[in-house]
Parts: sequence; structure tokens; C-alpha cells
Amino acid sequence: MSKAQADIAHDAIWLRRDAEKVGGALPPLLASAERLAASVAMGGHGRKRAGTGETFWQYRRAMPGDVMTAVDWRRSARSDKLYIREMEWEAAQTVSLWADDALAMDYKSDPSGRSKADRAKLLTLALSVLLVKAGERVALLGTDAAQPRSGETQLRRMAMTLAQEREDRPDYGAPPQERITPGGRAVFFSDFMGPKDEIFDGLARAAEHNVSGVFVQIVDEAEEAFPFDGRVIFESMAGVVQFETQRAKALKEAYLDRLAERRAILQDTARRTGWQCLIHRTSQSPRQALLWLYGAIGGQI
Amino acid sequence: MLSIGSLAFLTPWLLTALVTLPILWWLLRAIPPAPAKRAFPGVRLLLGLTDPERMPERTPWWLLLLRILALALAVLAFANPVLNPRSADLARGPLLVVLDGSWASAPNWQDRLARTADVLDRAGRNGRTVHLHVLSDPLPPEGLSFRDAASWQQRLEGISPNAWSATRGEFATWLTDQDAEFDTVWISDGLATDGDADFMAALAGRGTVTVVQDARATLGMGAPRFEDGKVLASVLRSRSDVAQAPVTVSAIGLDPNGLERKLGEAQAIFEPDALAAEVEFDLPVELRNRITRISIDGLRSAGAVALSDDGLKRRKIGIVAGRASREEQNLISPLHYLRTALEPSADLIEATLGDILNAAPDVVIFADVGTVAGEDRIRLEDWVEKGGLLLRFAGPRLAQSGEGQLQEDPLLPVRLRAGGRSVGGALSWGAPKTLRPFPESSPFFGLSVPEDVAVTSQVMAQPDPNLPERVMAALEDGTPLVTGRAQGTGRVILFHVTANADWSSLPLSGLFVQMLDRLAVSARSFAPDAEDLEGETWVPISVLDGFGTLSDAGLLAGVDGADLVSNPPSALQPPGLYEAGDRQIASNVISAETELAPLQGLPAGFVQEGFDVAEEFSLKPLMLVLAFGLLMLDVLATLFVSGRLTGPRVVAGGTAALLALALTLPQEASAQDSDALAQLATTQTVLAYVQTGDSRTDQISEAGLIGLTLVLNRRTAIEPVAPVAVDLERDELAFFPFLYWPVTELQEIPSEAAYAKLNMYLRNGGMILFDTRDAHLGGTLGSGTPNGRMLQRLAANLDIPPLEPAPEDHVLTRTFYLLQDFPGRYARTPIWVEAAPDIEEVDGMPFRNLNDGVTPVVMGSNDWAAAWAVDADGRAMFPVGRGSNGSRQRELAYRFGVNLIMHVMTGNYKSDQVHVPALLERLGQ
Repeated sequence: MSKAQADIAHDAIWLRRDAEKVGGALPPLLASAERLAASVAMGGHGRKRAGTGETFWQYRRAMPGDVMTAVDWRRSARSDKLYIREMEWEAAQTVSLWADDALAMDYKSDPSGRSKADRAKLLTLALSVLLVKAGERVALLGTDAAQPRSGETQLRRMAMTLAQEREDRPDYGAPPQERITPGGRAVFFSDFMGPKDEIFDGLARAAEHNVSGVFVQIVDEAEEAFPFDGRVIFESMAGVVQFETQRAKALKEAYLDRLAERRAILQDTARRTGWQCLIHRTSQSPRQALLWLYGAIGGQI
Repeated sequence: MLSIGSLAFLTPWLLTALVTLPILWWLLRAIPPAPAKRAFPGVRLLLGLTDPERMPERTPWWLLLLRILALALAVLAFANPVLNPRSADLARGPLLVVLDGSWASAPNWQDRLARTADVLDRAGRNGRTVHLHVLSDPLPPEGLSFRDAASWQQRLEGISPNAWSATRGEFATWLTDQDAEFDTVWISDGLATDGDADFMAALAGRGTVTVVQDARATLGMGAPRFEDGKVLASVLRSRSDVAQAPVTVSAIGLDPNGLERKLGEAQAIFEPDALAAEVEFDLPVELRNRITRISIDGLRSAGAVALSDDGLKRRKIGIVAGRASREEQNLISPLHYLRTALEPSADLIEATLGDILNAAPDVVIFADVGTVAGEDRIRLEDWVEKGGLLLRFAGPRLAQSGEGQLQEDPLLPVRLRAGGRSVGGALSWGAPKTLRPFPESSPFFGLSVPEDVAVTSQVMAQPDPNLPERVMAALEDGTPLVTGRAQGTGRVILFHVTANADWSSLPLSGLFVQMLDRLAVSARSFAPDAEDLEGETWVPISVLDGFGTLSDAGLLAGVDGADLVSNPPSALQPPGLYEAGDRQIASNVISAETELAPLQGLPAGFVQEGFDVAEEFSLKPLMLVLAFGLLMLDVLATLFVSGRLTGPRVVAGGTAALLALALTLPQEASAQDSDALAQLATTQTVLAYVQTGDSRTDQISEAGLIGLTLVLNRRTAIEPVAPVAVDLERDELAFFPFLYWPVTELQEIPSEAAYAKLNMYLRNGGMILFDTRDAHLGGTLGSGTPNGRMLQRLAANLDIPPLEPAPEDHVLTRTFYLLQDFPGRYARTPIWVEAAPDIEEVDGMPFRNLNDGVTPVVMGSNDWAAAWAVDADGRAMFPVGRGSNGSRQRELAYRFGVNLIMHVMTGNYKSDQVHVPALLERLGQ
């Protein structure tokens, strides 16, 4: 038992290290504060409006009702009017992350490559590292680290959770049911290959809570190219779903159509709810995806 | 045993298993390959799909064939197939094995022995008794003795070929006395001899005959002869119907150190139908005289060696006359007859005695020379002492000189009497004297004396106790005509008559030449015939064995001269070198008359065989390996048919194609197809980058230009298509308005031709953006970074005008956007452009009046391509700067790109003063 614990800790350290390596080259993330809601936790970035904070925002003419202590005398001395020095409102944002850990995510077509789950975990943590460095709060949905927190401890907790393998994992993952911090942002890493109803219900529910975010569909090359031929019995990772074909090659067109259709629905859902959508292949560099995510969360794209 | 042609099966009953093959066929056809099971998360997307086509359920025919073939091979293999099986020899009874054993058998003697051993082996196994006889050996005195084969087997190694031909006729005659019935195996040399017909008839009468002979032609080396200053020899062959490769013939002789060396080499090339080919050795006299034999290279046979004898030797003969001859009196010249006799066969030297002795002659002939005095005499005596032959002819001068009259002269064989004698003249009694037949002790013994030879005058020898033994020829009254004696190792010989026809008619007769010949003064220019050698005994000094090796003759008996030339070599007279007196004759296997004829006229009943007996060869291992190989192939094929061979690993190509599809722009035009490239580049605007050979750099360059192309398309009227890569060595550059050239440390310096193209490109209005991409390493130009140094090396051969850091008012700052800096991924390092002409800045004017010149190069280190680079989905590939500043910097990088391309396209349009007011207004705030 203790050995298993040690292994998990070991895995966690390596995962953390990889994540920091990938994220290290990016500047700290300053997430846009546009949709920052009533959350009051102070964060390290301004919200481009006057409020409580330490950074100078603007001088404004003193209005009746302003307290005298707020007057900036140095500025006021240069004219006949009284001026008040306002600070920028700084607050931390909550980003909820979900990395699908279903069995389907374990798939990798190239034995020497990375599985989709590996990639999802790496991106999750890398993004978390960036966010925490920028002072944001992160939450890992569906795990022990679901409570939004900031700081090294949270990162460590997330890394431990991600490195740990959950028991009785389902064949396909569905977006978590739990409540996402309203007004925050969310990033969902999954292959979105599960049953249509489960997935899109979950996505819609997440969008309902005034949460905007990103769907990252992580796919394997084989899932896009469908390089099979001959008589094949396809089965899901747990073997629950089976499908037998006489000639796999002949099904390629139909399969690709369905894949495109599923993506279209995903993108449609995203568009309707104001989310964004990224398709990431495990053969691509994770840095590209992270760069894009950085832009997406920062609201720059 | 079951045999089909040269194939036999040792276990034929196993072949019945082949019957099962059709059953197998039926069984295999009925079983389709099992489906493969694959885990695949995308299976949910597949649910509900129906198969548009079905996989053939039955095994494909070629796979069936493969399996059936493998099995059939296995069955055949276990039936023990054997190639060239030894047929059982069922014959019984005595067996006669005859080998020709002649020189012609020598080249492949080991094959013959092996074949003979094989015959003996089989005879032994069948319990046959054997008599073995070599036809060139003497006939066995005890008659045919059929014995156990094993006892012959032991003797076999001791048998070697003889240097003469097989005596088949004699054997046939001898065989008539023998009373036995037997089968015969005749290992023949393939050459015809005289007694062939008798021989074959004799053998055919006793039982079956098997003839083993070689299909190849037998080669023989003819005796060398001398013609026109060259040594000629011919190579003979026995058959002209088989192609014969050119034969190398070597002339071998002793070098001055006494070692055998190859003195010359020649190629004999046979004309298609010719039975003989001539070879020619053109050698200097010294080498020619040393030739001891001529042989065919690489052929070990007595027939391939031709020994040379005196016939090839040309002696150097110095002739000295007592008085100078007068030209118009040739026939009475003292030297005329000597010259005529010797010229064809010797090299004559006519000079003063001193010069002659300097030339180291073999023979010196004095024609009527009186006294030799002084130093010449001492040298001449010395020369004779050391082996020279001095041949003197008498004459009036000798007679008058009184030489050797009072005491014995070392240069004369006998003492002479004062005065001579004259017979048969007008003032003398008696008839001219004729010659007495030569005595047996004389070197001239055997020569016939013509009757018309008469002597009218001569010098007389002083009667002496040892005169008789010095007389070599005498007149009929007993007076010596030719006398001679040894002097040291040399000889002195005196003809008591003149060398011309003054004193005798001897020089007019053929005898004169023959006598000179016998004295070894002249070499024969013709082959000696039996008559010439009649009565002489020639002793062999070295003989050839069957393989053509020369060895000492030992105690072999001498041979009569007539026999030597008229009879072919035999056991009694083996080929070799024979000697009589000072002369040598070579007896060669191949004489001038010899013709090599192939053995013909074999009776129809004779079984003919060659030497190349195919070995028994078991096919079992081969077939098993083949069957196993086919089964291995079957494994692969089965995997292929069931789709397991092409697993999901083989997808790289597919994904790449998909990525290419996802690209919004038409993807890279192949630079390889130069025509297509030219067409593309001339009909569209194309940005191009220089291939550096570093794939990562090239990839970034391309992605960067794609990014820039996207921006240009979106924002400006310049609408380039997808960028292309340019290979400086191969591609035409003239089509491209702009080249992006990232500098890498490991880049190859372009060739001369490429530089010529580049310079032409720059002169004709092209622009190159050099990017060292190392501003983060402090890489301002000239700061000595590796890439910077590389750029210096690259640009050294380029025709680049003077450069300066882009001034603030450079047209690049305002061709489209108004810029102050030219950032890429790195910012705030200057870029270098062509230096502007020195024009005064006017106060109040932001720009100088620079109307001309588009800079041909722009050099910088800001890594623009990386800042521009976008991936297939249009997302930036590299982070630039930090946060929103970074975005701004990327934007400025794009603006620089736009400005640069605008500058390329529109030149100095924006430095036109017409725009100044508008620009001033925009800059004014």
C-alpha cells in the first residue's frame, strides 16, 4: 500500500515537472477580468475598472459624497479642482478544469506515443501552473481538488490527484455534474467520444451557470485516420461496446463523416453558449495547445 | 527408386501423399481468416453502420496456392529427391581400362585420374576384375592380367602422362595375341593417331567400349623458327569448331645471371576456322639468342613447350680480309662466298680487328690474313683462349707471311711449310685434287663429298707427330685440307685454301656451307633433314616429361641423327634437347609437319562420355528450406489478408494528408517540378524562402511566410499564394520578388553557379531578407555570433552595396504602416539596408528626398519568421514577448512584414514627396 503511495507520489512529481517544463516558457497568465463576477477574492491582476486594489487606475474629479481622505492632494494642488485617485479593481478568477479520465482516454495507436489521458493531464496541469502563477484560483472538477484554490498546495494536490488512477472508471467520460463556480471559466479536456446525450447534456448544464470556457477535444491519430482494414471486431476500451465489420476500410468514409458530425455538434454547442472549441491531436506539440488556451482564457483570440 | 530424367526419388511411395492435396485445397477454402479484435474508442461512432462491401470469406486463391505449394514441396522433399543419381552398373566380367597417357592428356591429368579412380571404384564395388594400361607406356610383357580393382587403385597415383603420343596401333597388334573377353573404358586424349582404326576395331571385338574424352580442343606449341629478324612460332589446336580464347605465349630464357626469365610475350588469336595461329617475337639479338623455350602460359603439357636449338641462335661473326676488296670484283673478293654463306644465318661484322674484338664476336674469320701483330695479337690470343673460334682461310698473303713456319703459332692449328703447292694448273703436273671422304673422327663425318669439288692450290702443313689428330679433312692424296686444334677453351681452325674460288671450287659447292654449319660457325637457317644428320649420334642433355617440365636426361642412350629428325618422339627418343659436338637440336613434340587432328570415326556402339560428371545431389534440404520459406510467407500473407499487417501504426501518411486538407491555403507547390514552379511563380505572387537544409528551420520559414501571406491577403492588395521553398542550386530565382533567408550555422555555402544566380537576382530587383535569428544572443550584426559569422561567409560572394542601419526616415518605415521599429520575435535590434546617398536633411522635413533605390538586401537578427509563423489551424506557433505586450509585438512584426513586401512590390513609391503632406498630417499629432 505504501509502495503504491510512493509510486503515485513519484508519478505526480514527474507529471508536475513535465507540466512546468511545458508551461515554463509562457509568461504568467493574466486572465481577462471581463466576466469576473461577484467573486471578491483579491488577485494579482487588474479588472480595467476602478475598485479596490493597489495599482493606479485614474484621477477623477471629486464628487459630492466622496470622503475627504480619498482626495489626492498632490494632484489637486496643480489645479483649482479636487481630484480623487482611484485604484484598479483587482480580483482573482476561478478556472475550473476537467480532465476526462475514462478508459477511452487511455487509447494510443502508437505504443511508444502518449495516450490521450496523458496529454489531457499534462495540459490540465500546465494550464493550472500558469493560472496559479498569475494568481488565479483553479479547481479540478470531479476530484478531491474540486474546491477552487490558489497556490502551490493546490497545484500539488492537483498533480497528486491526476497521477492517481481512479478505480472503476467508466468506458466513456461525461462532463462532471457538480456545480461550477458561477461566473468563472472552465476548460474541459476529453475526447467527447461517449454517448451523445450524456456529453452534450453535461456541456449544456455547465454552460448554464454563466460559465464560459473551452472544450478541448483530444484525439488520437488513428481516430482521425481510421487506418484499419479487413475483418475487424472493434470494441471499446472496456469491451462493453462491440462492433464487427467485414471490411473496415469500406467504413472509413462513414466513420469520418460521423466524426465530423460530432465535432460540428460540439462546435455548435460551444458557439451557442459562448464557449470555444479546440481540437488537439496527441501527435501535436502540447505547447501549441497551451499557447492557444492561454490566449483563449486570456480572451485574446 | 523412381527416376525421371536426371531426377530420382529414393522413397517414391511417399509421393502418394500428394493425393491429399486436393482435400487440403477444399478444407482450406472453407475456412475464412479469423477477424482481428481491436480496441478503439471511436467504436461508438461506428454503431449502426452497415458494411457496404464484404470481405471475401474464403481464402484467396493465391494464398491457397501458396499453402498447397508449400505442402507439395514438403511431400516431395521427404520422398528424397536426388539429382543425377548414380545408375547402378549391372555389368559383370573383366574390365580393361586404357588411358592414352600422352602429352595431350597432361593438362587435365587430375580429372583423368579421378575419372579412372571412379571407374575402378565402381568396378571394385561390382566385383569386376580390371586390367589398366597406359597406351604411351611400353606394352606389358606378361600380357593382360585382370586383377582386383583395388590393387590398380594403389598404382594410380604413380601414373603420369608421357611426353609422346599414345601408341594405339601397337597395342591393337599386341591385343590380337591376347585371348580374353572384356569390356573397355578408354580414357582418351581426343587426338587422332595412326593406328586408331585398328585399335577401335580390336576393342569393339571384345565387348562394350566406353570412350571418355574432353570436349575441349587440345593446344600445341609449334617449334620456333627465325624469319626476317623475328622469331615466329605457331600455336596449333585440334578442333576449330569450338571457340578458343586468345592464348598467351611466352618466350623464356636465361638472363645474364643465369636465372630463367620471361623474355617476351605474345598473344595467339585463332581465326574462327583456322587450326593454327601465329605468334611473333621481335627481340634484340642478345635476348633472342637466350631463348631456351617457348611455351603456352598456363598449360601444363609437353605439347605446350617448344624447345629452341641452334636454329634460333645467330652468331656474331667478325670477318677480316687480308686486303680490301674492290667493289666491282665481287666474285673474286676473298669475302664474297663467306658473306653469301653466312649472311642468312648470322650477324656479320666487317671492321678492323680491334673493333671486331670490342664487339665480342662468337667467331672471327680471317680470309687470307698474314701477320697479326702488336696489341691486336695479344687481344686475339686472349679471346681465343677464352673460348673464341678463330677460323682462318689460307691465301697468298698467309703463304708469304711465313707465319707459323718456324714454330707453332697459337693462331694457327699446325705449322706450315714455306710456300704452298699448286696442282692441275697450266704449269703443273697432275690433276686438281678432290676430297677424301671424311673420317669418323671428323666433325664433318657423314657429309657427302660432291665429286666436282677440286683443289688446285693450297698451303701445306708441316709433317708433325700430332698432325694426324688435327686433320679434319684431307685431300685424296692425304694432304690436310682443314686442320684444327683446341687453344685454351677456344679453337683455331685453318682451311688450307682460300675463301674464294681462286684456289679451289670448294666455296662454290654446298659442302662449304654444310662444313661451316658443322663447325657451328653458322646457325642453320633451315631445319636439318635426316640426310644432314646421317651417321651422327645425338645425346640427350635434357628431356621433357609429359607436363612439359624440362629435366636432366640422366643416362639416356644417344639417338641416331636421322632417326631424331624423321621419327616422332617416343619412349626411346623422348622430346628434349639433343647435343652432338657443339651443336644442339631440339626434338619437340610438335614438329613442323605435325597436325593436331581430333579423334574421329568412333564406331556407333561406343558409349561416349565427358569428364564433367554431374555429382549426385540431394534436393531434400533445398526443398525443405523452400517449403519452410513458403510457410513463413504464408504467415505474412495471412496477416495481410486479415488486415493485421497494416495496423494503426501505418498512419503517418494518412494524418499528414488530413493536415494538408485542413490547411486553408493551397499547400506548398513542389519546387522539384521547375516548370510547374515557374508557372506558379509567374502567374501568382509567391513569397519564397531559401532552404537551409535544417528541416526545423525550413519548417519555421514556411510557417512564417504562411502567416505573413495570411496577413497580406487579409489586409492588403498583395495576395500571395502559399509560399515555396527555393533550392539555390537548382531553382530559378528570377520569378520571386522576395526571398527569406534564415541563416543557420550549419548551412552549406552555395556553389559558384548559385552565387552567379543570386547576384543576377539582386541586380535585377530581387530582395533577400537575411535573418540571423539570434538577437536574444546579442546578435546585432557584426557581433560575432555563430550565425553572424555564417552570414558574413554567405554574403562574402554576394554583390551587395554598402549597408547602413536603417535610418529613421527609411522608406520601410512608411510603405504601408508607419513604423519606428522592425521587431520579429525579438525587438529593438537595428536592421541593415543599402546605405542611402549622402543627402542633406532639410529642417522641418521628416524625410530626406530619397527617390531612388530599393534596397536589395535587408539584414537583421529579429527572427521574423518565428513571429509570423502560424500552424495549420492558423494559431501562432511561438510565443512572442509577454502578455499583451507580446501580442502587440507580434502585430508589429506582421506590420514590418507587410511594409517589407510593400517595399518590394512598390519600391520607393512611398518616398515620393507627393505623400509628404498627408504623411506630415498623420505624423503631426
